[in-house]
Amino acid sequence: MSDPALTETGAATAPAPTGIRRRRSKRMKTLFPYLLVAPAVIYLLGITLYPGIYAVVQSFYAVKFGPWRPVGFENYANLMGDYQFWGALWNTFVIGSISLTIQCVLALTLAFYAYRDPWVQGWRIIFLIPMLFMPSAVAFIYKLAFLDARVFSDILIRLGLIDGNLSIQSSIWGSRALLILADVWQWTPFLFIIFVAALQGQDEEVEEAARLDGAKWGQIFWNISLPLMRPVIAVALILRGIDITTMFANVFIITKGGPAFGTETISYFIYRTGFKFFNFGYASAASVIMLILTIIIAQLVVKRAFRSGRA
Amino acid sequence: MASQRRRKGESLFIRYLILGTWALFCLAPVLWFLSIGLRPRTEIITPQPIYWPTFSLDAWHMIWSDWPMAKYLRNSVLAIIGSVVIDLVLAIPAAFSLARYEYRGRDDIGFYILSTRMMAPAIVAIPIFFLFRNMGLLDTVWALMLVYAAINLSIVTWIIRSYMIDIPKELEDAARTDGASDLRILWEIIIPAILPGIITAAVIAAIFAINEFLFTLLIASTPNAYTMSVALANFTGGSDGLIYNAIALVAFLAFVPVFLVVVAIQKHLSRGLTMGAVKG
Amino acid sequence: MARIELSGIQKKWGAIWGVRDVNIDIADEELIVFLGPSGCGKTTTMRMIAGLEDPSEGEIRMDGEVMNDVDARDRDVAMVFQGYALYPNMTIYENIRFPLRMRDVPKVDQDRLVREAAAMVELGDLLDRKPGALSGGQRQRAALARAVVRKPQVFLMDEPLSNLDAKLRQAMRIQIKHLQRQLKITTVYVTHDQIEAMTLADRIVIMEGGLIQQIGTPDEIYSDPANTFVAGFIGAPPMNLIEGRMEDGIFTAPSIRVEGLIRNLSGPVTLGIRPEDCHVAGAEAHVEGTVFGVEPTGDMTYLTINAGDALIEVKADRDYRSDLDVPETVAFDPARIAFFDTTSGQRIR
Repeated sequence: MSDPALTETGAATAPAPTGIRRRRSKRMKTLFPYLLVAPAVIYLLGITLYPGIYAVVQSFYAVKFGPWRPVGFENYANLMGDYQFWGALWNTFVIGSISLTIQCVLALTLAFYAYRDPWVQGWRIIFLIPMLFMPSAVAFIYKLAFLDARVFSDILIRLGLIDGNLSIQSSIWGSRALLILADVWQWTPFLFIIFVAALQGQDEEVEEAARLDGAKWGQIFWNISLPLMRPVIAVALILRGIDITTMFANVFIITKGGPAFGTETISYFIYRTGFKFFNFGYASAASVIMLILTIIIAQLVVKRAFRSGRA
Repeated sequence: MASQRRRKGESLFIRYLILGTWALFCLAPVLWFLSIGLRPRTEIITPQPIYWPTFSLDAWHMIWSDWPMAKYLRNSVLAIIGSVVIDLVLAIPAAFSLARYEYRGRDDIGFYILSTRMMAPAIVAIPIFFLFRNMGLLDTVWALMLVYAAINLSIVTWIIRSYMIDIPKELEDAARTDGASDLRILWEIIIPAILPGIITAAVIAAIFAINEFLFTLLIASTPNAYTMSVALANFTGGSDGLIYNAIALVAFLAFVPVFLVVVAIQKHLSRGLTMGAVKG
Repeated sequence: MARIELSGIQKKWGAIWGVRDVNIDIADEELIVFLGPSGCGKTTTMRMIAGLEDPSEGEIRMDGEVMNDVDARDRDVAMVFQGYALYPNMTIYENIRFPLRMRDVPKVDQDRLVREAAAMVELGDLLDRKPGALSGGQRQRAALARAVVRKPQVFLMDEPLSNLDAKLRQAMRIQIKHLQRQLKITTVYVTHDQIEAMTLADRIVIMEGGLIQQIGTPDEIYSDPANTFVAGFIGAPPMNLIEGRMEDGIFTAPSIRVEGLIRNLSGPVTLGIRPEDCHVAGAEAHVEGTVFGVEPTGDMTYLTINAGDALIEVKADRDYRSDLDVPETVAFDPARIAFFDTTSGQRIR
């Protein structure tokens, strides 16, 4: 609009229109992304850091009903000698690892059969139904079917496989198996849907190339698809693993940790110590040990899996 | 050629046999549990299980008349919606920051947020119990809202972040040269573009909130703040033990809406469940 | 309607150089093209002009005013992107209106300006569509409309045509040039396509390795390259570059001998000659080689001669045909020969 010559002289004498253009503050610009993320971080610190510190402090006290009484490392020393605590760790590990292995194998098998089948795709939602129930509801389904109404025993008797009712409740492994079954039933769909998505996301051309090279379907799956989805499997198993090791509702509703503490998970141990026996200091010490284990696992395994999972 | 075709048929048979068995395994307990909800209480726990019970709506009348079911429902809905709103308000800016800016400590902050997902509820249960007791929030829906929001914040942030990362940088650059501020870019360009991702995150957070059990059990120590999940565990008739037909009906009451929204967001479900690590 | 000066511009990410040292003075209403291979720093330079990237060193001035601390949104530049960058959730109308809305242009003017801009790129009947429902060419025009709608100080175009097919690209090229002349807006255009650069530019800036290799009009760049990089980058096929020796006004390389060069030169030197300045010769040949390839294109024939260590491209007559591996001779137009320092690659004048 203005004459070019005018602009040039204008530039030379520079009566620059400084007022028109806002100058930004460098400081604001660097701070901005921190300000965006800060509320979430503060909220989470409130719900993790504060309780973490609180638990650490409380773990050095005997906290029952009265005032706190400092006891030094006594809670930790007692924990180390507490066979119930070690038992709870062991139970968590046993139930968790068996359940996770079964779920992974089942989900992979099902995903393998389902992922290129249009008919199954349409009805996929059926496979997800168990996951959509509240865990407490699922716990009641299994409590009723196996313990209270003994439907499972009855079916086995009718099939002529056993003579009398199974006494699942009084058997440690029977009770563990029941917890595992309920978990497998509800959460195999979780892994299934993730694996199906990962398999479908893979390049079909690679598969076609392999097929033209003469590979059979199963071979393609083992040699090409499965290695390609290793990062996805890692992420899915970690998420599932976290939930299994924090299993609480099923234990609370189905077994109450019994028989003979054989199904008491670490979450239930902390709950029982704190909220049934009101031994809060002792429970906090157990929490702190769990917290340390969690941080170690998070740093070693989870960080890597999530990095490679998105690469 | 003929033999090859037959082999194909056989493998198809095996495939449907396996998938069909699994479908049965998924559905049978659900259908049986539904039948529990629709039978009189006298036919639940019997010396011999009853497979063809009398149809009865006893439980349906019972949950509305014998318990403040409407209140439990209201508690659940309020706590869940409130927590999801808190999550979205906190997570959208946080995800925007993590996905679209480069700054020192960003990856560590992101990982810290993610790592709160790994914390077992039992670890923080005791301090949080005391925290809410001191704040006078025990036994209130507000406490549940805050806890659910905290539990799901990491998931919501990471899901939204994963969707934001997929938006081409050019779009943001274009908006910036067009004169939009950072916040307007977020509001006018990025949020509309990832709306499916935000909805997915909200749905998944809501489902996890419905499922939450341990905190709810501790915080809601009286029926005043019971949600559906914990109310279930308290359907006892004094010395008679658990009232299973009521439990079953409430379970289905919570299941139906969850089922419907999951059908609606099916395409995004796997991505949401892995916090964006798998693009479905 | 602005003059842009870049002085001493550098951009570094950690240890990685994006731009090493760029000094350009872009005149008002000029259409300047940054040309270079990918990774040469041309896009980074443009993004620094836009304000999307901060220079590590140096100053960016528009009409004399230092712009380094001014946000992209306040610089009054409009950018057109390779991927068009249309907002997917908005209709084309809303897309074009977006910059007006961001600048608080009065509502009454918005509609008129949007329709004017859309008419300028012949997009009037597609305003209600979403970008997803448009073809590549239509999206490109929508992106242009969004850029012109607010009559910015500066247009920045980052490879705007490279996602289009060849035919459409030519049509859009003409339209862009026409639009720029009509609106008289200073334009910086980034491309790796030399045809685009040659046809569009008032001046071309050739970049490589974060440095400017040459600035000049298309004619200057083509006929007077400053170094072997420019010589080898511009032209299809590019200039023949033959390494050899110069002694007593005679250039020699295996199978090549050029006499009568009035040059005060001796020692190793690189001779440059464009394919169209070579012709198939009879008696007074400079090159005696064999036919390596013959590629008729219809309006001419590309002939490749194998001469010792070098392959020499010749633009031969459209009727030229030959078998392969038969002897052939080529002569250069002595007036068109350029010399370059073999080690530094710089032009020797």
